[in-house]
Amino acid sequence: MSEADPFGYTEPSSLLYRLEFLLESDPLIDEVGFIHPSQFAALSDMSGSPSLSSMSMELQLADESKLKASPVNPTDMDFWSRDHKLGISTQAIHPLYNAAKHAFSSSFKQYKLLINLHAKRVGLDGDNVSNASSLATLECEVMKHSRALLLLSCDFGTAWNCRKEVVSKKQNIMLYLDELVVSTLVLSYSPKSERAWSHRRWVVKMIAGKCTNLQEILKNESELAQRIAEKSKMNYRAWNHRCWLVSYMPESQVIDELIKYRDWAGLHVADNSCFHYRTRLLTRTLADSFYKQDLKASHVHTAEVCQLWKEELSWSKILIKRYIGREALWLYRRFIAMCWIKHFAARMGGTHVESFVDNELQLFRSCTTVPDNVFEDYQSQAMFAATYIMWLIKQMDERQGVETREKVGEELEKVLNEVCPEKAFLWDLMTKKNGDLI
Amino acid sequence: MGDLAAEKHAKYILLVEKRKDDVESVLMEHLRINGAYWGLTTLDILGKLEAVEQERVVSWVMSCQHESGGFGGSEGHDPHVLYTLSAIQILALFDKIDVLDIDKVSSYIASLQNEDGSFSGDIWGEIDTRFSYVAICSLALLHRLDRINVEKAVKYIISCKNLDGGFGCTPGAESHAGQIFCCIGALAITGSLHYVDKDLLGWWLCERQVKSGGLNGRPEKLPDVCYSWWVLSSLIMIDRVHWIDKEKLVKFILDCQDTENGGISDRPDDAVDVFHTYFGVAGLSLLEYPGLKAIDPAYALPVDVVNRIFLR
Ligand SMILES: [Zn+2]
Repeated sequence: MSEADPFGYTEPSSLLYRLEFLLESDPLIDEVGFIHPSQFAALSDMSGSPSLSSMSMELQLADESKLKASPVNPTDMDFWSRDHKLGISTQAIHPLYNAAKHAFSSSFKQYKLLINLHAKRVGLDGDNVSNASSLATLECEVMKHSRALLLLSCDFGTAWNCRKEVVSKKQNIMLYLDELVVSTLVLSYSPKSERAWSHRRWVVKMIAGKCTNLQEILKNESELAQRIAEKSKMNYRAWNHRCWLVSYMPESQVIDELIKYRDWAGLHVADNSCFHYRTRLLTRTLADSFYKQDLKASHVHTAEVCQLWKEELSWSKILIKRYIGREALWLYRRFIAMCWIKHFAARMGGTHVESFVDNELQLFRSCTTVPDNVFEDYQSQAMFAATYIMWLIKQMDERQGVETREKVGEELEKVLNEVCPEKAFLWDLMTKKNGDLI
Repeated sequence: MGDLAAEKHAKYILLVEKRKDDVESVLMEHLRINGAYWGLTTLDILGKLEAVEQERVVSWVMSCQHESGGFGGSEGHDPHVLYTLSAIQILALFDKIDVLDIDKVSSYIASLQNEDGSFSGDIWGEIDTRFSYVAICSLALLHRLDRINVEKAVKYIISCKNLDGGFGCTPGAESHAGQIFCCIGALAITGSLHYVDKDLLGWWLCERQVKSGGLNGRPEKLPDVCYSWWVLSSLIMIDRVHWIDKEKLVKFILDCQDTENGGISDRPDDAVDVFHTYFGVAGLSLLEYPGLKAIDPAYALPVDVVNRIFLR
């Protein structure tokens, strides 16, 4: 690091130039990571394409088959690039940041000046042509420097904003789509970057209604969120983005998503966000079927949605029994069971609600036997089963609640006493319920 | 478990302020004003705010103001409501809200309310219930809640309520303790807590307490000191704080201290930072830990500061 050069104009500006050149010369770079200087030597020897995200932890040796490019320069200790992956030395970060920030700020300032000048000169002749060409150059500079800056500081809002400003003046769909690429690149090193995710939503909002392939873009967005969620567990920002997309999806896509990603969810049973995503999708099917009764096809459609919910219920039960003591699975069941009672069983009439509740009580009982050698997971399973029934009782309408409470008798208290006697809120809620109902 | 290393935490905060040219600090400059609010509020709760040069801080805060009236995270950065609230809170700590052009700041915030009552974070239109809280809290501190449509703002927040009793950032988004704090805080400030099913929400919040005594922010997540603040303040606002094991939570927070160099981390034995130091100390204050100033759960400012604003 150049301590003697606090503003970093001399050597660092060439660092910035090299970084921008690398990005420019390989537009397919799709992953950025930071590498400790001690890892450079190892990387230069290495054949194959390691994943940058795993690089800081361990150097993975992959197969030699796809080796194409070589390191930027065998003696380069600042950048490393191969197979469209870019590594930046951790030692280069500070001087690079200073240079990128300076270059970004000054080019954006000039850009603004010129824009204002343009605004004032509308309708006048003069040197419009030369102005236009210098504007194009400045736009290019602003986009180049802001991208470099965002690869070093992912939530630098002013840099994201200036990109929005430049792009929205152009009204060109392709430029909007390019912004998705920049955001993906930033997310490759910072999957939780709030600004990078929000930039994507801005793009979707801007092009919705203006482009013909929105559905395909939404599909890609959903897949990207999934890919990132795979690597970065319980990533609220990624899943939140995915939930946000749902309101733009046509109904067919909502159902597709539910079916297509069921297996993935089954492999990630501790990921509450993933189950919440299903909650969001399932809620959409309710809004689309029952409440739009003027639809001609609504009868057939309702049957299809009903079937989907039934499958979800039995799938959830299988998971609960297979993976013992998983909170996310039980919370998900609270949701589907409650909606099933309210939107399906109750509407079907007869003894539908009753028999459904009987089934759930059976599930509760089957999950409350803790083996003698007391496994923690079984204790959790028993607690979740008991609180599941309590939750349903509290959420059902009053008559159903009283009936269920009578059926279950002292069983709930017994289980809670055994596995979590210290949870004050549960006892309070329990006695409250009794007091309310008796 | 030791006691709270109050002196050391104060020293740590003051030291971080001095190291603002370190690379870690430089890379975070876009939210420096949030950091200043966390650090200064911690110092105030610890009774050590006099150690700070007030004049210098106030003029730096004012240098972050944009011509639109909003504040950026540092000088020269674009304005956003998140930074605007921090600016107002810092000025409130020093009893200096009167240096603001209050109409200008409130116009900026009010201009970000949308037709459906929601708030955008800035002119680029991202919507989030956090921004609703920030806008409502800011305007309340400025005595300018009349500049927005409070009824619609409340209605939008309620539309983000989930079946589990919690709240997310937009309608249908997953419940998250941080978002719940924002929604409950905004409802508390506007006197709208009657829209909340307190037992149901309290239930969800209490399920955040894990075996170690710490609180997590969502199901299946590890406990983290910052949720001590978000979960606890929400429980206090809905009057259900007696439902959790406070003693165990105090122990969890104290276990996350660096007793040698000061500072608090997210979990025991992790690296400390200002963010978690603030939430740890603020959490202990809510738990009535001895020797700390009381903090207001909705405004996230010391109670005496809030009283100075509203009882004046
Ligand atoms: Zn945290």
